[in-house]
Amino acid sequence: MATMLWLQTGACSGDTMSLLNAHGPSLESLVANGDIQVLWHPSISTEPTSHLAKLIEQIEKGERELDILCVEGSLITGPYGTGMFDSFRGRAKIDIVRALAGQAQAVLAVGSCAAFGGIPAAPPNPTDCTGMQFTRDTAGGMFDTAWRSKSGMPVINLGGCPTHPLTITRTLAMLAQGLPVELDAHNRPTAFFNQMVHQGCTRNEYHEYDVEDTELGGRACMFFNLGCQGPTTMANCNSELWNQRSSKTRAGVPCFGCTSPNFPKNGDLFRTEKMGEVPVTLPLGVSRGHYMAYKNLAQAAAPMRVRDKKMDT
Amino acid sequence: MARKTVNIELNRVEGDLEFQVDLEGDRVADARCIGTLFRGFEQLLIGRAPKDALVITPRVCGICGTAHLFTTALALERMNDVPVPAHATIIRNLCLMAENVQSDIRQTFLFFAPDLLNPRYADHALAPALEKAFKPLQGSVVLSALDVSRTLVEIVAIFGGQWPHSTYMIPGGVTRPATVSDIIDCREIVDKAVRWFEKEVVGDSLDNWLSLDTAERFLEWVDEPAHRDTALGLFTRFARDQGLHTYGAGTDQFLSAGAHYDPVEWQAPYGEQRTLLAGGVYDGATHKIEAFRPELITEHVRHSWYRPYPDGRHPFEGETVPDYQPESDRYSWAKAPRYDDRVVETGPLAELLTGGDALIVDLLKKEGANTWLRQFARLRRASVLLDLMRAQLKALSQELNNPHYLAPADGSLDDGDGFGFVQAARGTLGHWVQVRNGEITRYQIVTPTAWNASPKDSAGRHGHWEQSVIGLPLTDIDNPIEISHVVRSHDPCLVCTVHFVGAGKKVRYGV
Repeated sequence: MATMLWLQTGACSGDTMSLLNAHGPSLESLVANGDIQVLWHPSISTEPTSHLAKLIEQIEKGERELDILCVEGSLITGPYGTGMFDSFRGRAKIDIVRALAGQAQAVLAVGSCAAFGGIPAAPPNPTDCTGMQFTRDTAGGMFDTAWRSKSGMPVINLGGCPTHPLTITRTLAMLAQGLPVELDAHNRPTAFFNQMVHQGCTRNEYHEYDVEDTELGGRACMFFNLGCQGPTTMANCNSELWNQRSSKTRAGVPCFGCTSPNFPKNGDLFRTEKMGEVPVTLPLGVSRGHYMAYKNLAQAAAPMRVRDKKMDT
Repeated sequence: MARKTVNIELNRVEGDLEFQVDLEGDRVADARCIGTLFRGFEQLLIGRAPKDALVITPRVCGICGTAHLFTTALALERMNDVPVPAHATIIRNLCLMAENVQSDIRQTFLFFAPDLLNPRYADHALAPALEKAFKPLQGSVVLSALDVSRTLVEIVAIFGGQWPHSTYMIPGGVTRPATVSDIIDCREIVDKAVRWFEKEVVGDSLDNWLSLDTAERFLEWVDEPAHRDTALGLFTRFARDQGLHTYGAGTDQFLSAGAHYDPVEWQAPYGEQRTLLAGGVYDGATHKIEAFRPELITEHVRHSWYRPYPDGRHPFEGETVPDYQPESDRYSWAKAPRYDDRVVETGPLAELLTGGDALIVDLLKKEGANTWLRQFARLRRASVLLDLMRAQLKALSQELNNPHYLAPADGSLDDGDGFGFVQAARGTLGHWVQVRNGEITRYQIVTPTAWNASPKDSAGRHGHWEQSVIGLPLTDIDNPIEISHVVRSHDPCLVCTVHFVGAGKKVRYGV
C-alpha cells in the first residue's frame, strides 16, 4: 500500500474536484483495494490541521515514509522570494513542499499550476509563482532540472487545467502497483500524453476539408479562426471523454491548450494568429508549404454535407 | 477577565483559512477570520481581451467555475445589452443547478458530516449509525453521495465538454445546442439523483418532502420510522440533540440576487434581475423582503491589508492595492462587502428565504437563524433544484429548434461597463467589468465567501462569520467543535476570496 499526501499550494481545488470525479479507478476504490493510503488530503481528511503539521514533521525527520507526494496549485514565491503569500503555520508552503519532496519516493504535480505555473503565472504573474520543475516551458522551476525524488524520477507532471480525472487516479495506481511510468519531454506520463486533442475530435472532418467557423456556436473546425489548439496540444481529452461524456472541442469550445507548459497563451485566447490564410502555428510536424497546398485542395474537395455543416456537433 | 487568543484548526475548507478567537472564560469574546493565500486573479485580467475572462474566471474556483463563467457572460452581455436566447439561458441554468447540487451534496456529506464523528460525540447513542453513514470515503451515504455528485456534473460535460473548468457560455448564448439525446441523457441523470435523494436522504418522495411547509409538520415527519434513520433524519436528530439549532445566527440580513434566470423574462435591455427564485434582502427581524439593488453594494478595506480609503466603495470604483501591515489592527486580505452599509449573510438559507420556501421561512420564524438550519437549507436547496431541473428540461425540449446563440453585434464587447450576478453554490456572486478599446481595464469579483467571511468594516462592524461565533460558549477549548459546526455550515470556500495573502500563525495569551 502506497502512502499518499496531498498538499494544496496556490490552488483553486479544481484538481481535487477532478480527483473526486474519477470513476475507474475512483479514489475510493484505490483506497478500498489497498493501493493507496491517504495520509492527508485537505478536503477529505477529518483530523484538524495540527495533524498535517505533525505529519510534515515526521516525514521531514524521516520518521514516517512517504511514497507519493501530490501537489496541487502553483508554487508561490512572492513577495520578494519569501513565499509568504502562501503559508502554513507561518512557514512558506514552498519550503514545506521542498522538504516533503526530498523524502518522497515519487512527486506528482497535479495540474498545470503545479507542473508549469498555470493561470496564476500568466503575465503579470502577481504572486511570482512557478511550477515545481518547470517555469512555463522553461525547464527548472522551484527545483532545478537535475532534481530527482527518492525513486530517481523527476517531478511527474500531470498537465491539465484541471488534470483529467483518470490521468490522476491511473497515475496513482501505476505508482502504487509498481508499473513503469514513462515520461515525455515535459515530464508528463506518455501513457496519457501520447496523442493530440485533435485526434478523436468529432470535428476532424471539417478540419480535413478546411471548413472553418468564424463565430463560436457553430459546428465546424475552430482551429483556423477561433484559437483552437487541438492540433498542437498533447492530451487525451478526445479519447478518454471527460466525465464519461464529452470534450471541450466536441461541445464547441476551442481547446485552449491547458495541458501545455505555456497555458494560457498570451494574447486573445479566441483568435488564431494567421499569416495570410494560414495559422502561424500549424498542426504538430506539418510543413507550411505542404499545408498551404493541401488547404486549397481540401477546400475544393469538401463535400456538400460538410460545407453545409450538417454533421452532428 | 483575562483574554486568551486561540487559533481554531480547520480543514476541509476550500482554500486556506485561519480563524482566530479571543476567549473570556469559555466564551468567544471576539473573532477574526483570516485567509492565508493570495492569487491575484483580478490583476491577471487587466489588459486582456474581454472574452478571455470566460477562460480565466472559471479557474478562480474549481468547485463553482460554472457560476463564475455564467457571471462573466452576464457581465459582458450587459455592457451593451447583447441579447441571449431562451435556449441558452435554460442550458446555463441547468449546468449551474447541476454544479450547485453537486456542491451541496459534497459539502454536506464530505465536509460537514465528518464533524458529527468528532471524539466529543463518541458515546452518543447515534454514534454507530453516524459512523456507518458518514465515515469519510467509507460510509454508505458518503460513497453514494460521491457517486451521484460525479454523475450530476455529467450534465455540464454534455453541454460544456467537461467539468470543472470549461467555457461553453459565451456572450450571446452557448457553444452548442441541445439535442433530443441530451434531453434523454439529462433526464436520466436527474432522475438518478432524485431516486438517490428520495432513498438515502429523506426516505420519502420528492413531492411529499417538498410539500412540508411548517416547522411543526417537519418535526413530526422527521421522527417517523421511514425518515428517522435516513441521512437527513440522522443529521437532523443528532444536530438538534446537540443544540446546533440554538447557536451560530450571525446577522439577521439575508442576501440573494435571485437564483437562475427566467428564460423568457430575462431579455435585453437588462434591468432588474428576472429569476426563477426571487432575490432580495430578507430581514430576519421583520420577515419582510426588500428588492435587491446592486448599486447599494460597497466594499470596505479598513481592516484589510489594502491601501486605505474611507468608508466603502462600489466595485466599479474599487481598487485592490496591497498594503501588508501585519502589526496593526488590520488582519485580512478579504475586503468587507456591505449592502446598504449592512452586514449580510448569503447562501442557500438566504436563497430559500427570498425565494419563499415555506418550510425554511417558518423554521426561521420559530427558531431564528442557526447552524443546523443553515446546513439543513443546503440539503433543502439541493432538492428544490432537482425539482427545478426537471422543469427546465421540459422547457428545453420546447427550444430544440430555436437558436442557442445569437452572434453579438460588431463592437458590442469592445467598450462598456457591465456586471452580472448568479446564485453560486455558496451564495450571491457578482462580477463587474469595464472594457475600453477592446481591453479589460477593471475586473472586480465579490464572492459569496467574501460576504460571509468578511473582516470588520470602516464602522467596526464584524463580518457575518465573526458575528456568528461571538458570544458562543465552548465546552472544550482544546476541541472547539462548536466553531467548526458554525463555520462549516457556511460552506467555507477561501480559494475564491481572491484577494487573500499570507499571515503567520499567532497564539497570544493575556491580550
